Amino acid sequence: MALSIVGVALGVAVVVGIDLANTSARTAFTLSTETVAGRATHSLEASSGTLPDSVYRIIKVDEGFRDAAPVIEGSVRIGEVDGPVVQVLGVDPLAEDPFRSFTGGPDGGIDLGRFMGRSPGVLVAAATAERLNLPEEGRFSAWHEGQHVDLEVEALLPVDSDLDAASLENLIVVDIATAQRVLTMQGQLSRVDLILPEGTEAAFRANHMRGLPDNVTLEQSAGRSDTLAQMTEAFSLNLTAMSLLALVVGMFLIYNTMTFSVVQRRPLLGRLRAVGVTRREMYWMIISEALLVGLAGSILGVVGGLALGNVLVGLVTQTINDLYFVVRIRDLDVSAWSIGKGLAIGIGSTILSTLPPAREATRTAPSMVLKRSATETSTLHALPRLVVSGVVLAVAGVGILWLSGKSIAWSYGGILAIILAFACWIPPIVLLGARTLRPVLGRVFGIIGRMGASGIEQSLSRSAVAVAALTIAVASTTGVGVMVDSFRTTVNTWLTYALEADIYISPPGDVFRRNDATITAEAEHFIRSRPDVEAAYSVRTARVLIDNQETDLIVTEPRPRELEPGRYKATMTGDFRRAMQESDVVMVSEPYAFRYGTNVGDSLRIMTSHGPVAFRVGAIYYDYASDLGVVQMTRDRYDIHFDDPRVSGLAVYATDGKDLDGLIQDLREGTASVQSLNIRSNRDLRQASLDVFDQTFTVTTVLRLLAILVAFVGVLTALMALQLERSRELAVLRANGMTPGQVGRMITLQTSSMGLLAGLLSVPLGLVLAWLLIYVINQRSFGWTLQFEVDGVILLQAILLAVVAAALAAMYPSLSMSRTKASEALREE
Amino acid sequence: MKHSFLFSCVLSGTALLLSGLLSGLLLSGCSRAPVNEPVDEPLELAAAMGGDTLGYARADGVIPFDFPSDYGAHPDFKTEWWYFTGNLFSDDERRFGYELTLFRSAMAPPDSLDAVEEGWTTRQLYMGHFSLADPATGTFHAFERFSRGAAGLAGAESPPFRIWLNDWDMASVDPSRADELFPLRLQSEENGVAIDLTLNAIKPIVLQGEKGWDPKGAGAGNASYYYSFTRLETEGTVTVPDGSFDVTGQSWKDHEWSTSALGPDEIGWDWFALQLDDGREIMYYQLRREDGTISPYTGGSLVAADGSKRHLSPDDVELRVLDRWTSNVSGAEYPVRWELSLPGEDLSLTVAAVMPNQELNVSVRYWEGAVDISGQSGDDPLSGVGYVELTGYDRVANDN
Repeated sequence: MALSIVGVALGVAVVVGIDLANTSARTAFTLSTETVAGRATHSLEASSGTLPDSVYRIIKVDEGFRDAAPVIEGSVRIGEVDGPVVQVLGVDPLAEDPFRSFTGGPDGGIDLGRFMGRSPGVLVAAATAERLNLPEEGRFSAWHEGQHVDLEVEALLPVDSDLDAASLENLIVVDIATAQRVLTMQGQLSRVDLILPEGTEAAFRANHMRGLPDNVTLEQSAGRSDTLAQMTEAFSLNLTAMSLLALVVGMFLIYNTMTFSVVQRRPLLGRLRAVGVTRREMYWMIISEALLVGLAGSILGVVGGLALGNVLVGLVTQTINDLYFVVRIRDLDVSAWSIGKGLAIGIGSTILSTLPPAREATRTAPSMVLKRSATETSTLHALPRLVVSGVVLAVAGVGILWLSGKSIAWSYGGILAIILAFACWIPPIVLLGARTLRPVLGRVFGIIGRMGASGIEQSLSRSAVAVAALTIAVASTTGVGVMVDSFRTTVNTWLTYALEADIYISPPGDVFRRNDATITAEAEHFIRSRPDVEAAYSVRTARVLIDNQETDLIVTEPRPRELEPGRYKATMTGDFRRAMQESDVVMVSEPYAFRYGTNVGDSLRIMTSHGPVAFRVGAIYYDYASDLGVVQMTRDRYDIHFDDPRVSGLAVYATDGKDLDGLIQDLREGTASVQSLNIRSNRDLRQASLDVFDQTFTVTTVLRLLAILVAFVGVLTALMALQLERSRELAVLRANGMTPGQVGRMITLQTSSMGLLAGLLSVPLGLVLAWLLIYVINQRSFGWTLQFEVDGVILLQAILLAVVAAALAAMYPSLSMSRTKASEALREE
Repeated sequence: MKHSFLFSCVLSGTALLLSGLLSGLLLSGCSRAPVNEPVDEPLELAAAMGGDTLGYARADGVIPFDFPSDYGAHPDFKTEWWYFTGNLFSDDERRFGYELTLFRSAMAPPDSLDAVEEGWTTRQLYMGHFSLADPATGTFHAFERFSRGAAGLAGAESPPFRIWLNDWDMASVDPSRADELFPLRLQSEENGVAIDLTLNAIKPIVLQGEKGWDPKGAGAGNASYYYSFTRLETEGTVTVPDGSFDVTGQSWKDHEWSTSALGPDEIGWDWFALQLDDGREIMYYQLRREDGTISPYTGGSLVAADGSKRHLSPDDVELRVLDRWTSNVSGAEYPVRWELSLPGEDLSLTVAAVMPNQELNVSVRYWEGAVDISGQSGDDPLSGVGYVELTGYDRVANDN
């Protein structure tokens, strides 16, 4: 009974933990976007990410529109160049009142003169100031894009509620002038917030927007957090799916243990039936027992899930921060909904998996119930049916995968069907395996070996389920392992050819894949003019509106060496590289093409500084840097269409034979006084990229370990139960002259064989899962083409895991058996 | 002159509080914001506008004015304002009183900023007050605005003359004739209340005090530079919620800049700008002290029909309150009818508010209202219109 509860608890804990981490992440960015949006209903934004601050003057002065406020958003690092990242919100305190209450509040006595001009004053919540160790008086250091700025705490933001506290957790508020200085956005705003009464949007567009630049658009504020949420949708869906996988394994455990608990009391149930308890009563008795087990397990699971969620939320935040945007998740957002869901899943799945044993125990005649062999006979009879069900499930699974298109949820459904199909085939395979093993074990271990193998066959109803649970658990860890490994190999290969320059230079940014920091012109000039620098090309990453979607536009100067043709997924006929130089042609990354269904030859509407321009897609290239998809344009075309001379990074080729480390040192020293830059060799950057990759998959690794743990505990409990159930049988063997050692060896042999079977079976299933994860889930989530890489070590690990878990499971029954006297064990009542 | 006090009060934080800023926040000796009032402005503007006078330019003596550039801003002084009031009449005898004032206040002394004053970085804060009295409906509209004096959001330029705070605007009509202040157009709108007026001077400029240097209290530099246009022919449109009206009438312009403070015992003032039918104008203010007496720095001027000016000292003027009105918003009791006599000129006038409620419940609560004048000059009957400003009355109400 305790084992069942542990099984349920583990499954529920994983589901609840993941769910809590996901919802906490979502709550955090909803909060942070709502906090900065305030009471704004709309905002004026520009496709290029920033708009000239004259837009605000036009709205406020020329158009005389009152409820407008300028906003600058960005981030800085506190203390050191690589210190913690905080969001910066730049506002005009005199325009803020209708929008946000940061600059006011009952005790917010802010010296407006200091805040607006005299000092680089920031407003910050007390908790944030404390966490970041900001001094109460005097200046502190902050870094933006590697450039140092001094800031000073002007006043503490009033915190009225927990909601406030959470939303202000990672925020500093500064005057708009300070923000422009600190974030080097002179003359620029991130957006202009507006309050438009309902139904006046069209009128505003018609009456007040005529004098604005073409690339300024009117957006609804409410949509902003949705956009952020969408970016991480695939990421969180995958997490959820993995947690459900853990639950599937958990359900097998529950099924196993519930069956065990029914079977164990077979004699009792039989007697109850014999004395007149009706089938219905018995059925409900078993079900209500399952209900209790489910309840107890689920409650334990929720408690465990809370603990697990606390660990996972940090990892999830880390990944989101690395990949998407700066967000700080303060606390686990524990909702009744998450907990309720966990309880429902736990109790529901317990009852569901109790139905078969309950039916079995109640449907058979009382006399049969008393007999153990009855179950086994029926199991044997059921084998052909199982094989057929497996085929049906497999066909259904493939069908679902085939028809589900881009739907990730349905894809997981298909995978689940395939897993279940496999589970159906396991009992006959176990039977075959046991029969095959019997002579082998017999030859090696003699009678004990043969008896061990027979035991598996004789208790097929139990051993098959245990093997199935173990197989699925191990296979899912193998599948995820192979998938991550393949991914990593692909990225590594890609990095090798994508990073062909010697040295890479970029300003330190705050988010790995969304670094919009730029190199100062002074630093760029210095680098390009060093004698040991043979050649260099610049890269600019800008956020622009492409087909009305905010997208990263990568702008590159021609590289000295272009990519090999094999690095493109598709290209147009003719010289597309020349076309990109000379006409409005761009190329898109594979994830972009996937996300928007873009093909070579299609037209993209890119919002330039001078209004929308149609660009043709000349090629689709492989890229693993962004799961959101990027568009690439040549610098020449960019300079024609955008008023933005800045560069985000430089790739440098050293003169042949020059010492790279020396050149790096030289560049570092030369630029130090201007801007602190990340100057890395090809090798270091590749390593850094792989480090980020590994960090990204930390959550996955943790989940994999959890699945292994669940599998381990499952096997342990299942096999232990199996052996304990057989204690009477074993006692007979003891009475007939077997030594405790021999019994122990037999048990160990038996469970180890099962472990070996499971391990071996997990290899094909694991590979199938990996294949599905790579070519179905990854494709459908992100559109990446990954190479399928199988590392023998992972497979070996899987088999070893299964065998070791099984061998360990034998330990307790062996020990307890050897300690009990045979006569005692034989005594039935 | 009056506004110098209004503003210096704010600046020194000794007499008035920019109230709505922070509910309950009280500066030493200042009136308290009413608790039931919504908090209009979240920032502590008083602090921004307050502080000492160190580092600023001071009005420490007579200087030759340099027009048209002196029509514009004097950013090294702490405070400055451009003030317009007037009485307007439509053809169908509907009348209005208006005030449009833009204030400039330096939040920090010159050259005291870490950053260069460009872009949005500035020392200058602008405040605007716009009010419209509509006696026909008994309604008094009052609005207030703030903006930094940067990024084109608010500012003061001359030549050509343009003072603006967002879309509230005072500007010469023809910018190509840069030297000419007039004709001058005033435009302001808020919540369906608007004025769009064109002003023309029909009398020459009046340099108040001593050639435009007007001492405000004891101590060097405790003075302002101050000039007026006492009679401006006005025509244009007034818009109120029940319609737009073509109007004509007369306006008054003051422009004053200073870095000075009120004395510690001074609690407020009564200020009169009176335009008489016989072509003369009277500007007179009295500074009230806590003990009920009148400060010796009280005074004014009498401008003759030909534009010549005579200084008025407290001894030249007799002022007596005839009637009072209590605001049900602030509880302050304001005088609304006076008897004002200049015995030396044989002038005896009754000054009466066109409607009692002309209290501006903005950051600085005060009463600024249109008045009618009737009386006698010698034996001849005399009438006129004008504007009166009353400050420091809500302080008494709240202290009691």
